[in-house]
Amino acid sequence: MAAAAAARATVLKHLRVAVAGGSLHGGQRGFPWLLANSLRRFSEEVRGSFLDKSEVTDRVVSVVKNFQKVDPSKVTPEAHFQNDLGLDSLDTVEVVIALEEEFGFEIPDNEADKITNIKMAVDFIASHPQAK
Amino acid sequence: MSTASAAYLARRAAQKERVRILYRRALKDTLNWAVHRHLFYQDASNLRERFDANKDVEDINIIDKLIADGEASYNKWRHPDPYIVPWAPGGSKFTRNPTPPSGIEIIYNYGREDND
Repeated sequence: MAAAAAARATVLKHLRVAVAGGSLHGGQRGFPWLLANSLRRFSEEVRGSFLDKSEVTDRVVSVVKNFQKVDPSKVTPEAHFQNDLGLDSLDTVEVVIALEEEFGFEIPDNEADKITNIKMAVDFIASHPQAK
Repeated sequence: MSTASAAYLARRAAQKERVRILYRRALKDTLNWAVHRHLFYQDASNLRERFDANKDVEDINIIDKLIADGEASYNKWRHPDPYIVPWAPGGSKFTRNPTPPSGIEIIYNYGREDND
């Protein structure tokens, strides 16, 4: 009976809103922390998780380096697409679409127009919860 | 010829933005239509050449007409079932599991009654 109740509790626990963090979990139930951490990850999948900024920068830089019209040695995290890398405005559009494909999420059209250098792209991706 | 007045520059800037948005949508549409990736690369380079052929046009009215023609042909060729990322608006997972409003707490006592 206790095992069934514990199983139900663990299944239902992922619905719980993480309001105060540790106090609810530890105080009320006394579950092992291993279980709570795994369930916390499950519920975060719904909300999405933000990617690490350095990891985002690495991936963005590698995508831009693989671009055919770009000189790979000039790509730095501070590069501006049109000024530094010598890309056309249409090339900028292509780079943004390639970033969308890499990270698997969608940028609305008006936001995509504003991304003109790598730094802005990294900021946008890192602040988007569903960027994989 | 073309005076660098603010109105002219504003109009040119608006046109450039329209062109960028049109190119973005057309490229995504090409990705939707092309089943295999090597076909997509071919079609994307064709599209890029079509855009580049009109790159040096200077007359504003001709540019407007070209953009209108481009948008008309884009509307004609739009894919009926485009690929939309699931959690984007229009996708299948959009607002599937919205985050509950903060401050709401569900207390699980499983109908345990306190009257023993």
